[in-house]
Amino acid sequence: MSDVAFLMRQGSVAAGKLIGLMLLAALVFVWLGPIILVVITSIKSNDAFLAGPFALPTEPTFAPYVTVWNALGFGRLLANSFLYATAGSALAVILALVPSFALSRFDVPGKKLVFGVILTGLMLPLQTVLIPLYDTLRALNLLDTRIGLIIVHAAYGMPAQILILRGFMTTIPREIEKAAFLEGATDFQVFWKVILPLSVPGITVGFTLNFIAIWKEFVFGLVLLNSEANFPVTVGMLKLNSDRYMAVFNLPAAGLVISQIPIVILFLLSYRKLSSGNFAGAVKG
Amino acid sequence: MAQPSLADERTSFIRFAQSHKFVTLFGILVPLAVFAVFVGYPIVFTAYLSFFDWNGMAPEKTFVGLQNYRYLLFSDKYFYTALLNNVKWVGVTLSFPVLLGLIIAYGLRSRIIPLPALIRTVIFFPVTMSLISVGLMFLLILNPLFGAFDAILQSIGLGSLVMEWFGDYRIALYTLAVVSGWAFTGMPMILYFAGLGDVPKETFDAARIEGAGHFRMLTQVAVPQLRPVTAVVVMLTLFESLRAFDLVAVMTKGAPFGSTNVLGYLVYLESFWNSRFGYGATLSVAILVISILMATFVMKKLMKGAFDV
Repeated sequence: MSDVAFLMRQGSVAAGKLIGLMLLAALVFVWLGPIILVVITSIKSNDAFLAGPFALPTEPTFAPYVTVWNALGFGRLLANSFLYATAGSALAVILALVPSFALSRFDVPGKKLVFGVILTGLMLPLQTVLIPLYDTLRALNLLDTRIGLIIVHAAYGMPAQILILRGFMTTIPREIEKAAFLEGATDFQVFWKVILPLSVPGITVGFTLNFIAIWKEFVFGLVLLNSEANFPVTVGMLKLNSDRYMAVFNLPAAGLVISQIPIVILFLLSYRKLSSGNFAGAVKG
Repeated sequence: MAQPSLADERTSFIRFAQSHKFVTLFGILVPLAVFAVFVGYPIVFTAYLSFFDWNGMAPEKTFVGLQNYRYLLFSDKYFYTALLNNVKWVGVTLSFPVLLGLIIAYGLRSRIIPLPALIRTVIFFPVTMSLISVGLMFLLILNPLFGAFDAILQSIGLGSLVMEWFGDYRIALYTLAVVSGWAFTGMPMILYFAGLGDVPKETFDAARIEGAGHFRMLTQVAVPQLRPVTAVVVMLTLFESLRAFDLVAVMTKGAPFGSTNVLGYLVYLESFWNSRFGYGATLSVAILVISILMATFVMKKLMKGAFDV
């Protein structure tokens, strides 16, 4: 038996509390420390950074934000990412709604096939399909277009959405729809008037997760887009690591704070839903 | 009972489709069509292309038979480095973030660690960051001249451990894998936290009465109960590791000397930088084969019951 367990079982509450507090401090330091350092760095001039990399800023300045905003055209990058994340997630959710309804409510023949398809789509390493997607979008004249990227994001977002929404819809009690079916309602009416309104919380979680996933996404944007005007934030920020900025530290820091602000807002609005692990229910079925 | 034949399946599907037109069309056929266009066809096209020499632009592709595969297996030294790097990456990810996520989740549930809501938020937050941001962040923190990490090591008397975290070809890959682990830990933590919440409290109480300490409680009570969650976590981890790309692209670009190339990055380099789309497709097929082997293994060994439908 470990000393820790022994101490705690002896009722040595103080020792237990101390260990707990130390663990708390260590975890906060490791996971919050880097973020705080980046925020501090982003409000210093580069000279101040070089003079004291970890010192608190004596003269906080927003100049790095202004510089990096103009140099990378952050307004356009953010607008692009917002468009991809919103439209891509919305389309993914719309595509996933009826399949989730079908898989949670009916004994569909070929259910196994649909699930196999979902899992393949989820697990497929994206690099294996980059070349054909590139080729297909080029053939459709959708290469380097916003609409092309949105469609790809929607198609690859759909499988996860089906898992999440199916998991959610399975938890909706059957009584209401049974009554509706007895009164002669069609599948569509039950879906539209009963299941859909009750699924709003599940849809919110699914949409939010997909939004974050697309906001983070990098490979598709890198390969399927060529012109800077269409770049999402992730691809645009790659420049911050080019030689031009290597000797400068406050600009990348400011850039990454900017890129994260929309997600922070979303996170604050919804983290209870996300961090409670509700979406784990999707995979546990 | 006899296994239903294909013909039976077809009749039962047609019968179902006739009475549930809306569900069949939008619930089954549309997602299958989306899959066919964006996943099925690309896989087939990749496999086809792997037998050709093609620069990506020319209208004509040159059939070269198995030449790409021969090159991959016998001549491409980068392939084996990258493959080994993916294996190392999986190893690091399974040990550091997954194990740590489990321990933290247990610490939070058993109230050893105070302020569970704060900790969950803080550790989950990096999961919402793009790996490009995470990469830029750690380029700053691990910088050899101005990085906080080296400074901390020196201040606690471990200055001798300071290394060229990205420049040393022996450790650069581990640096990347650990950074990705830092960003990923929130995922297993949240899943395990939820899983532990589903374990009946009596199970833990019974073990406590029998005198189990936290170590035994974790290994002998929690871990067996969490088996389905572990299956999901392991699968997520395997496929995240195989997809490893973003961090390589932003932090090292495969340098030094190709020592941080991973398979996914190699596909990108060969296809979109060297314009060898045929060979890029061959590498893609290799990734695909590895994924299928891994998926089969996970399904057989771990997944029992996790994806019951």
